[in-house]
Amino acid sequence: MNLAHLHLLLNHVPTVGFAVGVCLFLVALVEQDEKQQRVSLGVLFLVAVLSIPAYLTGVAASEIMQDRPGVSVDLIRTHEDAALSAFAVMELTGAAAWLALWQFRRLSRPPRGMLVSILFLSVVAFGLMAQAANLGGGIRHPEVVSLEETVTPREPLAGTIWLNTASVRSFVNDTDWVWPACEAIHFMGLALSFGVVLLLNLRMLGMMKSVAFADLHRTLPWGMLGFGVNLVTGLMFFIGVPEQYTTNPSFQWKILFLVLLGVNLIYVTSRQKVWAVGPGEDAPPTAKVVAASTIFLWIGVVYFGRMLPYLGNAY
Amino acid sequence: MMDLLMRIEASGLSTWLRESPSLWAFPFVLTLHTIGLGLIVGTTVVVNLRILGGASRIPLAPLEKFFSIMWLGFALNAVSGVLLFAKEATTVGISGVFWIKMSLIALSMWVLTRIRTRVFDDPLIDTRPVPNDLRALAFASIVLWAAAITAGRLMAYIGPTQAEAGIQFGSR
Repeated sequence: MNLAHLHLLLNHVPTVGFAVGVCLFLVALVEQDEKQQRVSLGVLFLVAVLSIPAYLTGVAASEIMQDRPGVSVDLIRTHEDAALSAFAVMELTGAAAWLALWQFRRLSRPPRGMLVSILFLSVVAFGLMAQAANLGGGIRHPEVVSLEETVTPREPLAGTIWLNTASVRSFVNDTDWVWPACEAIHFMGLALSFGVVLLLNLRMLGMMKSVAFADLHRTLPWGMLGFGVNLVTGLMFFIGVPEQYTTNPSFQWKILFLVLLGVNLIYVTSRQKVWAVGPGEDAPPTAKVVAASTIFLWIGVVYFGRMLPYLGNAY
Repeated sequence: MMDLLMRIEASGLSTWLRESPSLWAFPFVLTLHTIGLGLIVGTTVVVNLRILGGASRIPLAPLEKFFSIMWLGFALNAVSGVLLFAKEATTVGISGVFWIKMSLIALSMWVLTRIRTRVFDDPLIDTRPVPNDLRALAFASIVLWAAAITAGRLMAYIGPTQAEAGIQFGSR
């Protein structure tokens, strides 16, 4: 299995996953079923997490495919730009879905406007992703594209004028200060998210036992802010010089660890058993296992990030 | 001064760090330095944000042990930092950005010890609102660490050191 193959597996997750997530969420909103609302928010968040490797493997796949006979580079570029816009909106939706999930604990339920905005965002994300998927399908399945479409050069898609691969790439590579500035910010984001990871997980492992978990839960959005900053700066490195990362084993491990951390985050954010750990109380054994694995995975992410030039080919 | 730096750089340990292809040499020390950074800045920024009024339901007093993790990070980074310095003593030692970074860290650590005394030696800390000068210290601490991180990163780009794999500024 190569990365193009992996992309073929993962590329169905964003569209199919969001279709399921949006339907579940819509029904839950209409029926005012809070439990189902939370489940569908979790689905939207996890699909947004899995969209990260779906996007990244897509860039790897384009490197593999673009030199093959019968493959339209023009179509690949259009697909890539469409995917980037769709991916951006999908990550925004995922972040909002996570925030709402956090608010379900923190405020007992999120404001109505929040839930409606997420519904709107997720529909837009699904539409953009479906468009990207349709274009991507045409790369290897000429039967889905009309003959006329294959021969006429493509107009840039609406929306990709302000966010497209080429403009991000030139911003990152052609301006001297952008790369070092993003690196400095990436390290600050690292520190912020690590701080929150340690605070919550060390509490679950038994440190600061006199503090109720519900009080520490309030710091989760700080950690998410740190992660969000690092997702944006990290993607700028990736889009700037993708060949440093696509086939780099250290990068692949880093992304795998990040996806697993996403699953742990859902657990910490929403489980009743964790939320209910009061002052002086011991966390349940499952929570301790998750806490230890979160710290391990997080250190792993830093390790593989640092090892990009040494285990792989980044410079 | 240069003589001393050259002697450090020529030592066996420095040469091993510079020339060994092993992942346990330079890459490992560099990773430790990054984890140490996460430990120091991560724990202190969370405590500082709490002092500044975020998540105000968390009592400050029980955070003392958590705050102390900072010392583990500091020890880790003092050791790994000395090794990273020794590896390229003659270039790092005359780099302006490096000495700016050292000054920022010295200032940051001084501010942290001030915060530590103010918060954790005060048995009444959780019974009244956080005083303004303590807030100012917390704010200064965040700004100083951000500046120290920036200076550290810039060492790879500015001045005589391209400590990481010889990157030239702008020619990446």
